[in-house]
Amino acid sequence: MKKCICFLSVVLVFAFVLTSPFMTAYAADPIVIGVPTSTGFVEGKEGLAVVEMAVADINAAGGVKVGSENRMFKVESIDIRDAAPGVPVPEALMGIEKLILEKKPAALLIGPFRSEALLAAMDILTKYKVPLLGTIAMTPASEGKIKKEPDKYKYVFRTCLNAVYLVKYLVGTMSFINKEFGFNKVYIMHQDVAWARATADGMVKRYFEKAGWTVVGQESYPTGASDFSSALMKARSSGAQVILPIFDMPQSGTLVKQWKSMKVPALLAGFISPLAGPGAWKTFDKKIGGAVNCNFELGSAIASAKVPQSVEFLKAYEKKFGKPMEAGHGPGPTYESVYILKEAIERAGTLDPDSLVAEIQKTDRTGVMGRIKFDDGHQAVFGMDPKEAAVACVFQWNDKGERVNVFPEAIADAQIQLPAGLKAAK
Amino acid sequence: MLLGTIVYAIINSVILILMSIGFNLTFGISGISNFAYGAFYILAAFVTWMLLNLLGFPYVLSILISIVFTAVIGALMYRFVLMRVRGQVLSEVIATFGIGLAILEFFRYLGFVGVEYALPVFIDESFMIGNVYVDMQRILIVLSSIVLVILLWLFVHYTSLGLAFRGIAQDERTALTFGMDSDRIATLSVSLGAGLAAIAATVIIPLGTISVSQGYDVLINALAVSIIGGLGSTGGVIVASLLVGFAQRFTDTYIGSHWTMIVSLLALLIVLVIKPSGLYGKQKELEERI
Repeated sequence: MKKCICFLSVVLVFAFVLTSPFMTAYAADPIVIGVPTSTGFVEGKEGLAVVEMAVADINAAGGVKVGSENRMFKVESIDIRDAAPGVPVPEALMGIEKLILEKKPAALLIGPFRSEALLAAMDILTKYKVPLLGTIAMTPASEGKIKKEPDKYKYVFRTCLNAVYLVKYLVGTMSFINKEFGFNKVYIMHQDVAWARATADGMVKRYFEKAGWTVVGQESYPTGASDFSSALMKARSSGAQVILPIFDMPQSGTLVKQWKSMKVPALLAGFISPLAGPGAWKTFDKKIGGAVNCNFELGSAIASAKVPQSVEFLKAYEKKFGKPMEAGHGPGPTYESVYILKEAIERAGTLDPDSLVAEIQKTDRTGVMGRIKFDDGHQAVFGMDPKEAAVACVFQWNDKGERVNVFPEAIADAQIQLPAGLKAAK
Repeated sequence: MLLGTIVYAIINSVILILMSIGFNLTFGISGISNFAYGAFYILAAFVTWMLLNLLGFPYVLSILISIVFTAVIGALMYRFVLMRVRGQVLSEVIATFGIGLAILEFFRYLGFVGVEYALPVFIDESFMIGNVYVDMQRILIVLSSIVLVILLWLFVHYTSLGLAFRGIAQDERTALTFGMDSDRIATLSVSLGAGLAAIAATVIIPLGTISVSQGYDVLINALAVSIIGGLGSTGGVIVASLLVGFAQRFTDTYIGSHWTMIVSLLALLIVLVIKPSGLYGKQKELEERI
């Protein structure tokens, strides 16, 4: 009898211990990936979608090997709304801090849209020692902070391109236009946010002034502006041959429609977020033939047959979500960031942030954007050959509704064509 | 450049009139500041989009249904929410703002974000006015605005319901003694305001794409123009829209585009300092404060 009671007691104790919460938690403790970004904007929405897609694939394949055990990824997101006009930076920072304190993520992906918010968030990331693989905000100033105080800001990485690299791609595009068509008068229209200002000023100082172009006008528009008629009239009256737009706000779709309806005889070549994906053809009533757009990363709503992973990625996205990707900035590097994090965790064998950061720094992988490595400012290196570096992709809409890759040469399928109604200057 | 600036300033002003007239009418009749106005604007746009793209309805039918639907939502908002707080101004503002926020953020939560959310223009043509190209959609906006203002004027002057609106607006207590049900009139005024927001959305939205954040912009513009012109005064809204519209376009052309957004807010500030009830406003208690 005593033995029976003793045996039953041992069984009950074991049953209690095995089913108790701390045991359950230890057995199935997922690795939390935090996604604090503006999910109400297409880049944030699709960025979050690709994180979930990558996480689903990784978990289906067995998860992440941390030391000797396999653990699953789990995504926790928060809409920090920093991309919406009028939202103050402290509001966005509160969202990031809330996510860190409540969900205790191993790392953050995507991050703020606005560079002002990213720069301010760097101290929060240092305070809580949480690595960030940013894929939207583009200011080179974050790299400057990292280089100046590497131990303090080592937790911040950027997988997407920055404004400096964007300028290089736009310079390449403008050089071609100048060489091929003899165009040398440009009207610049850009959004009044840090990345767009830096890009516009960079284009003027580093290329247009040196290459003998005439900048016939430059206008900056606050986020939310929806009438571009004055600038378009000025572009026409000043004889601009190229309009360089630099916008990521949804209202910039009005610029495209006004450019067409006002029949401004200038080539539209730059970055307008609504022009990035295949849906633009229907949205703009099939009237965007000739427009040239630079998607910031290969794999972000644009693929190249010369980088098969980019094609597979977009097909997988469309299959999973039932519609094509539309965001020309963010999804490609975001997808890669999940795998960068996974590989860094597996190499480190731990979730310790300092070890993770050291392994992320050693990343050298080939994916949808090309080859990804980080420089000493924790910026992914972008170049002109996907075998050597990550690449952006400049394409041109043709009159059949197709997007034809035109730059860089390593992934180009054709050269820029002049749309009907425009004549070369030489 | 000058002709082009004037042409687009007129168009800009008319867009402001269309955006604001519903908000101003609701306040003028029932004294309710409908802070869900911007949300109704976006609601109508998305309903039209859904009917057109998901259900395959003809475009005109989609527009008519969305206008009626939005007007009904406005009426329901009054009947089930505002009627309980009628007369408590702060509660009305908070309630309508909360409803507006809920509608807009619900669309954002559902993922109504992206370039595919756009309405087609009615006629895809451009015309020359002098040496300026203007698209047909903008010309339609001007024409529809003129027709709308005329119809509204005829409505409030020559229909029994319109006269009831004016009666309630002039003196609610006296109107009650004549048997006019103020709650019924208020329901109809909020509904009419919502319907006017829907009409504005269906003609203006095709100029670009549908974006949830536009709902907040429309509310700010409607509020600014109504306050500048004088809350409750249709004539004031028209004059204020012309002032602000011209100021914005001329600022854009001759000073700088990045100053455009503050023009309406600066005009608002000046009016509030000099004449708090607005250019044609009649709120004497506001005047007595300065």
